[in-house]
Amino acid sequence: MCSSTSVLGTTLRGTRRIRTTSGAAIGQLARQRPAEPVAWTEAEAIRRAQAGDSTAFEFLYQLHSRRVYALCLRMVGNPADAEDLMQEAFLQLFRKIGTFRGESAFSTWLHRMTVNVVLMRLRKKSLPTDSLEETLEPDAESSGPKRDVGAPDLRLSGAVDRVNLERSIEKLPPGYRTVFVLHDVQGYEHNEIAGIMGCSVGNSKSQLHKARTRLRELLQEEIREQARQERHSAKTQTGSQG
Amino acid sequence: MRCKELEAVLEQEGLSPLPPEAQEHLAECPDCQDFFADISAIAVAAKQIPAEENPPDRVWISLRAQLAAEGIIREEAPLELAASIPWWQNLSQLFRPRMLAAVGAGILVVLGSVYVTNRPRLNSAQHTPTSQGALTSSQPKISEAAESLAPAPVGSAPAAAAKNGSPTARATRVSVPPLPREAPRDLKPSPSESAYLGESAAVLSATESALPGRQLAGNAMADASLRANLRTLNEFIAECEARLKQNPQDQLTREYLNVAYQQKAELLTAMMDSGRSEH
Repeated sequence: MCSSTSVLGTTLRGTRRIRTTSGAAIGQLARQRPAEPVAWTEAEAIRRAQAGDSTAFEFLYQLHSRRVYALCLRMVGNPADAEDLMQEAFLQLFRKIGTFRGESAFSTWLHRMTVNVVLMRLRKKSLPTDSLEETLEPDAESSGPKRDVGAPDLRLSGAVDRVNLERSIEKLPPGYRTVFVLHDVQGYEHNEIAGIMGCSVGNSKSQLHKARTRLRELLQEEIREQARQERHSAKTQTGSQG
Repeated sequence: MRCKELEAVLEQEGLSPLPPEAQEHLAECPDCQDFFADISAIAVAAKQIPAEENPPDRVWISLRAQLAAEGIIREEAPLELAASIPWWQNLSQLFRPRMLAAVGAGILVVLGSVYVTNRPRLNSAQHTPTSQGALTSSQPKISEAAESLAPAPVGSAPAAAAKNGSPTARATRVSVPPLPREAPRDLKPSPSESAYLGESAAVLSATESALPGRQLAGNAMADASLRANLRTLNEFIAECEARLKQNPQDQLTREYLNVAYQQKAELLTAMMDSGRSEH
């Protein structure tokens, strides 16, 4: 599993494909977008923030807050908690900004802090009952992905919508959830996630695959539950008519 | 390839184009086809979830307050950073109202300093003992007379008048123009400088002759003090004028004379005001 408290050892230099709010996979690194009225580079803003310039703090906040807030929101599924966590993450970041030396990307540093803050909160609240180590072992008999014995052969294609998926994401164990949100929702590459989570690239890939597999199960359960409720309501209607 | 091996490939390679062996297995295994289709659908649906969300403004407000409370942020950029900003970006700062006001105040201070440093050369005999010490040995009487004026009879006259209830506001003012400065020390005076001294003497004489002979300040002692000061001034002026006749190029005597004229003008003004208030 990824150790979210370990020290980042990866230096990220490439550009990251990020997705805008419209969902299109376009654009470069968030730090390279001149979205703010102050025409600073991120490096200059960091240097100014290290000297205590409040405008630079706001610049950095405006530059990264949308992605950090979205990450918190997907992780906890609650806007109030997401705001609280984001503020805590930025507060920790700005307290330590004087120690930032640029060995890693600033956004990676920020996201690592955010993930740490979120996971710490989730551990305290003990929301999930699943272990962070939870994995899905392949079915030994079939040597394939785990199947529900006796369950109808459900295919999710066409049945996966955003609402169902977000609900299922909230049920994921935090470790899986973090990697899935960072990769499939926010568009980070595995080497970046490894930097954020403090784990190996292979571990990040493994976590993502297990998260997808677990999501498939959760969605199948949801579809079965919906089908069960529909059958129950149909029987009820038939009985009342008879 | 078996189902387990395909899943290992999916785990490490993701949904990117699969190797030929995996594709062959996928084409033959319905379960793996379903699995691949489902996780592909999940990945596609995940991309419909916004990667960015606008947080409420209150988060920054709260965060900023916390940062300020902890002393992490301050409003102004530090000087060392300002120095790193290209100079052409600082030009616009020059035309901000606050900057213009500061520059204007600075100019006024400089002009005031220049005026003050030049003007006291005329009054040095009255106010600065060090300038009196700089007098040459050829001018002992003048320096003594200047010292006798040091207690500032001009200032004492209005004060005495005020003690007797006279208004200190000068309704009538005898003015003497300042000494032209174009003539340097120990050089021959310019015609305008000589004309100035003559004009001052004439104005003062006319004013003095117009003084009423009666009591001025309404108080015998104050009146006597004013007239005594006037006599001292007249004696000093007469001595300066005599010396200037002997040596017209004596710049220092000319400055003493100018100062004496100004003091006499002040004194006459005070005396006339005192007389007017009483009558």
